[in-house]
Amino acid sequence: MKSIISLSGMFILVLMLSSATSFAADVDDRLNRLDDSVKKQEQTIEQQQATINDLKADLERQKGQGSTQLPAPGPQTTKASGLFGGSALTNPNISVVLDMFEYGSNLKNDELANQGIAGFTTEGLEQQKGFNLRAAEVFIFAPVDPYFNFYTNIPFTEEGAELEEAYVVTTALPEGFQGKGGKFKSNFSRLNAQHPHAWDFWDIALPHRAFLGGEGMGGEKGVQLTWLPAMSFYTQIGAEVLQGENPLLFGPDAKEGPHAYTLFVKSSVDTSDYSTFYFGPSAVFGKTKTQSVIPDAEVVGKSALYGLEAVWKWKPASREALTIQSEYLVLVQRGDSTDLATAAADSLLRKQDGFYVQAIYRKNRWGIGVRYDVLALLYDTFEQGGVQQGTGGKPHRETVSLEYNPSEFSQMRLQYNHDRTDMTTRRTNNEVILQFEFSIGAHAAHAF
Amino acid sequence: MRRLFVLISLLMLYAAPAFAGINIVATLPWIGSAAKEIGKDKINVTVLIKPGQDAHAIEAKPSMILAARKADIIMYDGLDLEIGYLPLIIESSKNPKLIPGRPGNFDCSQFIAALDKPTTVDRSMGDVHPLGNPHYHFSTSRVLRVAEGITRLLADADRGNAGYYEANYKAFAERLHEKEKQWRAVPLQGKKFIAYHKYFEYLSAEYGFRIIGYIEPKPGIPPSAGHIEGLIETMKKEKPDAILVTPAYGMKEAESLSAKTGVKIIALPHDVGSMSGTDDLISFWNKVITSLK
Repeated sequence: MKSIISLSGMFILVLMLSSATSFAADVDDRLNRLDDSVKKQEQTIEQQQATINDLKADLERQKGQGSTQLPAPGPQTTKASGLFGGSALTNPNISVVLDMFEYGSNLKNDELANQGIAGFTTEGLEQQKGFNLRAAEVFIFAPVDPYFNFYTNIPFTEEGAELEEAYVVTTALPEGFQGKGGKFKSNFSRLNAQHPHAWDFWDIALPHRAFLGGEGMGGEKGVQLTWLPAMSFYTQIGAEVLQGENPLLFGPDAKEGPHAYTLFVKSSVDTSDYSTFYFGPSAVFGKTKTQSVIPDAEVVGKSALYGLEAVWKWKPASREALTIQSEYLVLVQRGDSTDLATAAADSLLRKQDGFYVQAIYRKNRWGIGVRYDVLALLYDTFEQGGVQQGTGGKPHRETVSLEYNPSEFSQMRLQYNHDRTDMTTRRTNNEVILQFEFSIGAHAAHAF
Repeated sequence: MRRLFVLISLLMLYAAPAFAGINIVATLPWIGSAAKEIGKDKINVTVLIKPGQDAHAIEAKPSMILAARKADIIMYDGLDLEIGYLPLIIESSKNPKLIPGRPGNFDCSQFIAALDKPTTVDRSMGDVHPLGNPHYHFSTSRVLRVAEGITRLLADADRGNAGYYEANYKAFAERLHEKEKQWRAVPLQGKKFIAYHKYFEYLSAEYGFRIIGYIEPKPGIPPSAGHIEGLIETMKKEKPDAILVTPAYGMKEAESLSAKTGVKIIALPHDVGSMSGTDDLISFWNKVITSLK
């Protein structure tokens, strides 16, 4: 400020000196005009100084108030926040889950391969003694557009890659309706829709293995419609039309075109702030053509599998939970069985059931689990040509497991199965499994 | 069996009750509290996570999905805090109002500048949030910005009551300013604390105290014996004023550390309603700041 004033002073001096050489008559007039202009400049400077002082005072006041000043309107930051998280923009979300295990048994490898369940399935056990790699499962998912979300699941095994699931889910249907289409795991029963790495034990429950196979129904091509009405408690109703390729229950050649249909209802109530009960019936019907039920014979006919599921979960703290889960399945199968060698045909009627109950308690990094499975619990009808075939008793299995989970992305499990499903030779299969699971990439959902 | 199936299916169908006002689902108690300050009796608020629960390890329960099904707006903390269950809740709710990009999908973090944004992230660092520390509800100025965003959201959704929401916002902001004058008088400048989890970073930035160590070696990873030994060494040198812990998370570890070092524990609520006398945002902040004395 001072420098501006002294500059103007010097300017006036220079002007005065120069004016001394000009016409004497002009001097007074010129000096007066200069005087005026300097005064005007000084006034402007004073006004500007006042404005600066006001602004400074404002700033001081605002500092004094700290964070109490009202926020300016408008978002502070512009952030991408997609359905699956803000860190991925246009790339799909990718995760990989490695599922491997070490397997021990008192049976030999060739005996395991023939270890079907008489009267239910001729499919043996796939695992070998020693180290096994179940899969490195790749999940890729992202919204397609505002109307669809897209999911794929490709388990890579030592035999190659397999397209287990690839489907879209609608997001924009009104009134609580949702469609799904592509290849997906059916929502028939509870275990069926879960991926092997999400099971609470290393293996699937016995009723599912006996009626659907070692991985359940598996991915089926088809469409699904579900409805979640806005009621006072959670109830989801759904139906599916599926191609029916499950080799044990249906068979890809049972009929040209889709030949399996499901209906399911899933309901839930919170029994307290920290506990939830979840239950519901489901059913799957379809045409059957399979060689996996009776050794060296083909079964052709109709099948209906009914299920009832119930889960109670108590979660008193973030890292503590008790889950009790049970399912009951009943199969009704009518048709003919044809001996592959002699071509002799017989009528076939099966009405068989299976049940399991399991409990898992997890606290911090540890978990313990127990499970009991049984087949032919209430129904044991297996009639060929109207004659009941002896299956030799109730196949059953007891299981205990111990889990160690260093984080939510890694899991180790030690499991023991006392498997009494071989009613023919009555040999027990004592299985010990040490399983490892690791997942990387996009965050998987914590489903109930 | 077939008859049983039909019977159970029919039993599950009965009429839905009617709701009045805007239905809001908030993931966390503080968000529900902020919405309630602005909307008061013109909105219905359902909070998904109970005050005593830890927001990091939540499963998408069917009751949460049902609440989202009936919601007009879902409000969440953001910064990937709810990444484990919110996508599933939104998709399973079959409610098109809640999909990202619609006004009904309300990410509270859009209004704030996050602290602790890591430059590189992988999971060997624990459960780190790549978008920054998500516990910004300890920052009064940030929550006020969120409340302002809620005001605009509600005013847009329900234009007839826009003046009502704006008046509620002003009243809330004024109450907060009054309380903040008292809180500013609490001498916290230069204090040093140990904390269990990275909950208090925003508070430390606003009130000028320091967190000199964490009981968790990495977010979400429980401490090893070696880490605790190192921490005890730090505490002997630095002489912190207290160990900060929340009742839901790490109390046992804090107690054993306190017994070994003689440094007192201060138990703080981690969210609205998680301790007695913290039923709304202002009483929650009041409890936190006055406990730090």
